Amino acid sequence: MPRKDLLDIVSLSREEVDHLLDQAGPFKELFTRSVKKVPALKGKCVLMLFYEPSTRTHSSFEVAAKRLSADVTNFTVEHSSVVKGESVRETIDTLQAMRTDFIIVRHKMAGLPGVIARHTRACVVNAGDGSHAHPTQALLDAFTLREVYPDLAGRRVLIVGDILHSRVARSTSQILKKLGVEVAYLGPGPLVPKVGPENIRRFTDYNEAMRWNPNALYLLRVQMERQEAQFFPSLREYHKVYGVTSERFRQIADQGIYIMHPGPVNRGVELCDEVMNYPRSLINQQVENGIAIRMAVLYGLKPHNGESD
Amino acid sequence: MANLLIKGAQVAAESGPLQLADVWIEDGTIRGVGHGLPVPAGAKVVDASGKILMPAMFDAHVHMREPGGEHKETIKSGTEAAINGGITGVVLMPNTSPAIDSAAMVHSVLNIAARDSRIPVFTSGCITKGRAGQELAGIDGMRAAGVLMLTDDGDGVGDPAVLMRAMQYASEFGMFFASHCEIPSLSGPRALNEGVMSYRLGIMGTPACSEEICMDRDIRLAHATGAHVHIQHVSSALGMETIRWWKERGARVTAEVAPHHLLFHEEDIGEFDTHYKMNPPLRTREDNAQLLQGLIDGVFDLIATDHAPHSVFEKAQDFVTAPNGITGLETALVSLHHSFVRTGQFGWDLLVKRFSAEPRRMMRLEPAIIAQGAKADLIVFDPAAQTTFSADFMRSRSQNTPYLDKSLCGRVDLVVLGDNILLERA
Repeated sequence: MPRKDLLDIVSLSREEVDHLLDQAGPFKELFTRSVKKVPALKGKCVLMLFYEPSTRTHSSFEVAAKRLSADVTNFTVEHSSVVKGESVRETIDTLQAMRTDFIIVRHKMAGLPGVIARHTRACVVNAGDGSHAHPTQALLDAFTLREVYPDLAGRRVLIVGDILHSRVARSTSQILKKLGVEVAYLGPGPLVPKVGPENIRRFTDYNEAMRWNPNALYLLRVQMERQEAQFFPSLREYHKVYGVTSERFRQIADQGIYIMHPGPVNRGVELCDEVMNYPRSLINQQVENGIAIRMAVLYGLKPHNGESD
Repeated sequence: MANLLIKGAQVAAESGPLQLADVWIEDGTIRGVGHGLPVPAGAKVVDASGKILMPAMFDAHVHMREPGGEHKETIKSGTEAAINGGITGVVLMPNTSPAIDSAAMVHSVLNIAARDSRIPVFTSGCITKGRAGQELAGIDGMRAAGVLMLTDDGDGVGDPAVLMRAMQYASEFGMFFASHCEIPSLSGPRALNEGVMSYRLGIMGTPACSEEICMDRDIRLAHATGAHVHIQHVSSALGMETIRWWKERGARVTAEVAPHHLLFHEEDIGEFDTHYKMNPPLRTREDNAQLLQGLIDGVFDLIATDHAPHSVFEKAQDFVTAPNGITGLETALVSLHHSFVRTGQFGWDLLVKRFSAEPRRMMRLEPAIIAQGAKADLIVFDPAAQTTFSADFMRSRSQNTPYLDKSLCGRVDLVVLGDNILLERA
């Protein structure tokens, strides 16, 4: 039976990952044509349920759905009134009654998309739940990396930054491991979990991490709003200790190491200005590929609603 | 009740091996324990061959949710659940809504209990008004109404100075303190242990040191003030060792362990299963093993369930939003038998001591015993039978237990309290 929901990376088989990555290729080819639309989901209703503010992921899903000719509706959520799970359950019943085909959900509560998926016949795509998972980001990251390294097995990716709070770090490292990529973490002590998957290396020192010879640096966004909690002394210090400074950038460029980032970047924190014009920066490619991957995901999921086509 | 003769039972006590005996109960009092007791005319006879006859259990840590959470549990449904699990006495926690922080509230819940409960109900009282950790609650009024145990259970008292003053004040009245140990600023959203699962599920975890630091703090305060502190629901091995260390130094500290902290560990949470969400959280397999050893060694004075009922709807929410706690009154004895007695890890004597005698002693009650002249306060347990924890079986208003619809070895067949047969399973 085809998959109904995409909630995380852990539950995807290697075959499913490969299939989704393969499917995204032809969708990406469409983008160079004057008409970028296909009728694959004509007449289907995609509902965007975003409980957390998001511009990039939201737009990416919306463009993807529209390029598949689906009808897209934004279910406006009053952020202030939705603090409790109860109202989410009421919302699910409402959406169920609307007979929507797809629900794209982002929520700060880990696991909430799974709760929605259990209570609706629509396909549910997790667009980010707390620090838990961001499966379409992981898929687009894998797709992007595969474009530069068709054979991913044995490649090395160093993920740098706030691993603890990052759903991107979790999902992307999971998918890379599935594809045979070696993954390592580097970040400030309070932001790198001490207990985690055993097959991921942890570095505490930038230079030591670079001696591991990564093929790509994956820089996580520093969440400025989290600075109240003080996980490290200052942004300046973060940049100096964990960021791609101008000096480090020259070394990175010399070695031809690719740079990835889920966006939006904080210039002068995760990376210096020069990185943005670096030919081996994959950051914009990630954005473009995000649409293709999300098209492949929407195209691949099938609701279990018993409706006839 | 007609007079009762229980024949051929294996009788358990808090020490020593099982003893084969008949027990004769007349007008609510045990009048004879021996072999081949005659069957008096008109007596009800229960054949208990192959079964265990033991003092009834006593649970010093339950949440009955009344007043304020009657959709989850009431004193009536909760005490019926207790009877269903072989328990004939309970101590209520004061985190109701409103909280039990005054003589009026104590009278109110005890009046409900007098009307609705078939077993003795005791209540703890708050240390601070509204459990807010700031002003002391009406301590003398609660004492006069029958409160012995003071606790802000559900939360610790944040400010050590407040707790210290409360200890200095209330110890003079012979009251004791029960501590929910947690440093809130070190805790995540109080959902799970900091470890493999907090990473996997992307939920900020609560490290064991949050509990251990507070535990050490509370015992030190008790030691400094001469108060007796009882440490509730210890979840970590190092916490248990902290208590052991202090006991060896003569501190007035007692401690309890909840069955779920012996039986389950964090990885049971799987994909966000809220039936494994409680506070303090489930920790590791290693903690399970060490806590069990602590129970066997006597570091833990008693077993208490922390029975925490929640509605199906509440527990069906996402993992962080879903409330903490699982039910325990109906499953505790059977699950402890199933996992530990049946497998030989500890004996019936331990269960009687830690889940019947010691909690009663802490509440300054006479322990229930099976002996001539004692009040009948006993159960018959069939180790060969099975219990299926279906919604039909359970008397609690809530079914938030990992054992829902599961079958375990052992069954409470008979519960007798004084002149009443509270439960007789066919």
